[in-house]
Amino acid sequence: MLILKCPNCGQRNVSEFRNGGEYRPRPSRPLDADDQQWSNYVFFRHNVSGLQKEWWYHRNGCGLWFLAERHTKTNEILSTFRWGPDRTE
Amino acid sequence: MSNTLLFVIVIGATLMLVIGGAVTIAITLYRANRLIVSEVVLPHLEKVMGARLPSQPVELINRKEEMRFTFEGNEYSAFKGDTIASALAASGIKIFSRSFKYHRPRGLLCCSGHCPNCLVQIGDEPNVRACRQRVAPDMIVKPQNVTPTLMWDLLAPIMRFLSPFMPVGFYYKTLYRPKWIWKVAEPLLRAAGGLGKASHSESPEDTFDKQYLHGDVVVIGGGPTGISAALSAAGSDAKVLLIDENDQLGGYLRIKAEAKDVVDELCASVYAHPNIQTLTETTVTGCYDHNWLAATHGDRLYKIRADKVVLATGVVERPLVFDNNDLPGVMLGSAAQYLLHLYAVRPGRRAVVVTANDDGWDVAADLHAAGIEVVALADERERAACSSAKMESLEAELPVFWRHIVTSAHGNTAVNAATIAPLESDGSLTTRRTRLECDLLLVSIGWTPNTGLAYQAGVEFGYDEDRAELMARNMPDDFIIAGRAAGTHMLEHQITEGALAGRRMASAAGYGDAPTTSEWTFVQEEKKREVTRSSQRTIVKGSSKRFLCYCEDVTDKDLTTAVAEGYDSIELLKRYSTISMGPCQGKMCSMNAVHLCAHANTSTVDETGSTTTRPPMTPISLGALAGQNMEPVRITPIHDWHLGQGAKMMVAGLWLRPEHYGNPTEEVRAVRERVGVIDVSTLGKYKLTGPHVPNILEKVYTNRWRQLAVGRVRYGVMCNAEGIVIDDGVTARFDEREWYMTTTSGGAGAIYEWIQWWMQSGWGDGVQLINRSDDFAAFNLAGPKARTLLKELTDIQLDNKEFPYMHVRSGVVAEVPCRLLRIGFTGELSYEIHCPASYGQHLWEQLLQAGEQFGIMPFGVEAQRVLRLEKGHLIIGQDTDALSNPIAANLEWAVKLEKDDFLGQRSLLRVVENGLKQRLIGFKVNETGPTPEEGLQIVSINSNSKQRKIIGWVSSCRFSPTLNQVIGLCWLPTEIADVDGAEFIIWREERALTAHVHHGAFYDSNGAQLRS
Ligand SMILES: [Zn+2]
Repeated sequence: MLILKCPNCGQRNVSEFRNGGEYRPRPSRPLDADDQQWSNYVFFRHNVSGLQKEWWYHRNGCGLWFLAERHTKTNEILSTFRWGPDRTE
Repeated sequence: MSNTLLFVIVIGATLMLVIGGAVTIAITLYRANRLIVSEVVLPHLEKVMGARLPSQPVELINRKEEMRFTFEGNEYSAFKGDTIASALAASGIKIFSRSFKYHRPRGLLCCSGHCPNCLVQIGDEPNVRACRQRVAPDMIVKPQNVTPTLMWDLLAPIMRFLSPFMPVGFYYKTLYRPKWIWKVAEPLLRAAGGLGKASHSESPEDTFDKQYLHGDVVVIGGGPTGISAALSAAGSDAKVLLIDENDQLGGYLRIKAEAKDVVDELCASVYAHPNIQTLTETTVTGCYDHNWLAATHGDRLYKIRADKVVLATGVVERPLVFDNNDLPGVMLGSAAQYLLHLYAVRPGRRAVVVTANDDGWDVAADLHAAGIEVVALADERERAACSSAKMESLEAELPVFWRHIVTSAHGNTAVNAATIAPLESDGSLTTRRTRLECDLLLVSIGWTPNTGLAYQAGVEFGYDEDRAELMARNMPDDFIIAGRAAGTHMLEHQITEGALAGRRMASAAGYGDAPTTSEWTFVQEEKKREVTRSSQRTIVKGSSKRFLCYCEDVTDKDLTTAVAEGYDSIELLKRYSTISMGPCQGKMCSMNAVHLCAHANTSTVDETGSTTTRPPMTPISLGALAGQNMEPVRITPIHDWHLGQGAKMMVAGLWLRPEHYGNPTEEVRAVRERVGVIDVSTLGKYKLTGPHVPNILEKVYTNRWRQLAVGRVRYGVMCNAEGIVIDDGVTARFDEREWYMTTTSGGAGAIYEWIQWWMQSGWGDGVQLINRSDDFAAFNLAGPKARTLLKELTDIQLDNKEFPYMHVRSGVVAEVPCRLLRIGFTGELSYEIHCPASYGQHLWEQLLQAGEQFGIMPFGVEAQRVLRLEKGHLIIGQDTDALSNPIAANLEWAVKLEKDDFLGQRSLLRVVENGLKQRLIGFKVNETGPTPEEGLQIVSINSNSKQRKIIGWVSSCRFSPTLNQVIGLCWLPTEIADVDGAEFIIWREERALTAHVHHGAFYDSNGAQLRS
């Protein structure tokens, strides 16, 4: 079982969290997106074998949605951080 | 060819008993004529005289306490401390099981809990390892997979006859054509093969449970390395868990009489250390992410969070593959040592020892010292390549055959002779053979590190050709391998390496200093200078069956054939031949299989790699994984009252809800004619506050919210980005800044998280969202008498003008502060009353008491479904699925595509552009009769060909007592759904049921009742 570091609560078992899938920012003006762009956003996942930025939710804890950089093959977690309009890296 | 095969199998199976009987008689006669000393006389002697030796220095048995137990119905005696295997071996038993496929006799092989040969059934517990399980008084032990007895297994001769027709993968090749053949063959095959029998009944003695444990440093393996690691890590102040699968610590040193004092001293230090918790008889079966370990101890499953892990699991002795290498009496050298030293059991009377290392010499010396005749010690090595004082003294006393290897074991049900052959200088076999009479053939040709857990932890191994051993290529920061598992064979190196590994992991966990690089490197270099203990040789070709896999009866020929058929990667080979997939989980066979695969591909062992080792490392009972039933259920504040009224409860998501209170039809009538009340405390209930609440509502709902006036309620639908309906509910506006949202019961948790996600990633400015679902009880009071009833309990103005439909009011009801939402999914005048959960039962009882004079009835989920359906209301998740958009789901009126950006808008615009193919629509069944079950297909029938084509499905269907008719909702092609009254066919139990489309609500279609 993974250990995740919630930016609020610190290290916890992954069973306290819910995974929210890979980080895919929503196009800021969906109506301006053409069908190709929109279907890429809605239906396609990169499904990388390697480093992935993804959402996690501290369900049995503080209720924070945050981002983690996880290696999908080794489950190594490089960092976890809060979302911010200018901080998604 | 395939037809011939089928013929043979079917005939063979049906005539099983006839042939079996005949062959058995033939064999009996044959055996009677061949009374061989080793096979019949010696075992007989053992049975009469026993195979128990005089007291041994490190024996575990207490000869003062004797007990009885039965095996296959016969009574045996055991000393306290005996395992089932040691007690039976002491009574001269050679055959412990029959093999999985061929029903060949199998005897003790490893005596260390790894191989499948001694699996037995104890009561209702199958697959118990007899070499691990201690005897308890009056234990009833049975052999597994025997037809009908161990000694006389009728299937053995049949399988011997059939085996040429059953090559590797023969099911896949033959039993698929004609189609019915699998149905005939499967039960026969299942009956013929297999292991023990699992109990299907609940056993009150089984008390499976789980426990969580934590350790800064968890040391797996309690041999010298593990003990040393535990002591040094604990010395650095780390909290240490030391785990071993045996019932005492010491590992392989337990069988070394000369090491007894050292072991005792080490164990005493471990037990005395306050920082070390020791778990014996505990097997770590899996190493999951971030050092999350699973371990079993009897009926208990430990879940262990290890900060750092030291793996000191040692080695497993590797079998050699030669003719008849599975005969009872062929054993691993270490197995004989366990029997001899720990249980004082003589493993045989005349032994041939085959070796390629000094460990085999120790085995021979031990046998010799115990008075067992060593007929030959065959060493694969050159005389010149090895020498020690011990060797020279032994060489003087025993017949040693340098540069020899075993080629075959002989015997019917046990070894009676072995053939050995000298080797050429290039290692190939010469043509000379020497046949030696013996009843014990011991093999000590190498060791496989027990590294399955390391693979799981992400360690990669490479094969060192010179040493014929696996060596770790990398090591994670929080996991380390030490001792024999890491190729360290000498005791002093094990002790040093263990201590350094313990200190290193303790330091990584934040305790004490790590050893210096030079300290660590020194040991690593030292151990490389050790003489290897493993031979390159894995297979000695011959003319009989040679088994690699004892679990599933796979021979080297099977594997060679599989590689030739194209299954030439080790992973494919495993799946095709099932090698390493049995109870030993590859511990006996995987190294040999990799060698064979490499050889067949003229590739190297390193390039061939090995199969992925997954948990569990050893078989684990499903009960231990399941544990006790701890599944949480959610109950409403009125739960006890429901139970008291005899409600039939149903599971609804995480909740327990009343399905009905005895008569759902009467409950529907009460609501339609008088008044009813339902507990809807399970709804999701959120408080939204702040200046910008409308912003988030506009985003997550498909309709408009900005203009909703204070005191009003509105229905809304939520979609995801794909435009799929995910929830619906009503939201009320209490004042300028405070709103109150309700969701479906099923969506109560998920929708909160959904909205939080959007709020926390940019849409949350000026809004606070609090989940109040558990804080409030909620009841829906519905029916024409609802207002009159409620007037008796509150001062809130309830008249239609003061408090119209789709409005919200706050006030006191029965002395309880409440919020009333005038909404009506039942189609009647109704008030949804929300109050603090702690007052829930009081208010509920007050409502029922006040309603008595009006004939009130509490109603459950079933009546609610009928009431909703009569109004044509859909239920999200019942009538919709992961493909349903709100426009097709008849919710177009609640979707405002032209408003500003909302979730689902972009996708729904495309839905509209492309047009709908299917639609959710109401229907009535034409005839009176059975109610079609939900999920039934709607079909079109081609009148010529009678072919049916599925065109839709029934999503809800109930008998409506109000309409006295069966009504429902279904998904239909738009060309049918759009025509009011269009007929279609529901296919039920091979019969067509005619129904017709119904537009609008079935009941009160203009909403007069609702707004009254
Ligand atoms: Zn948290």
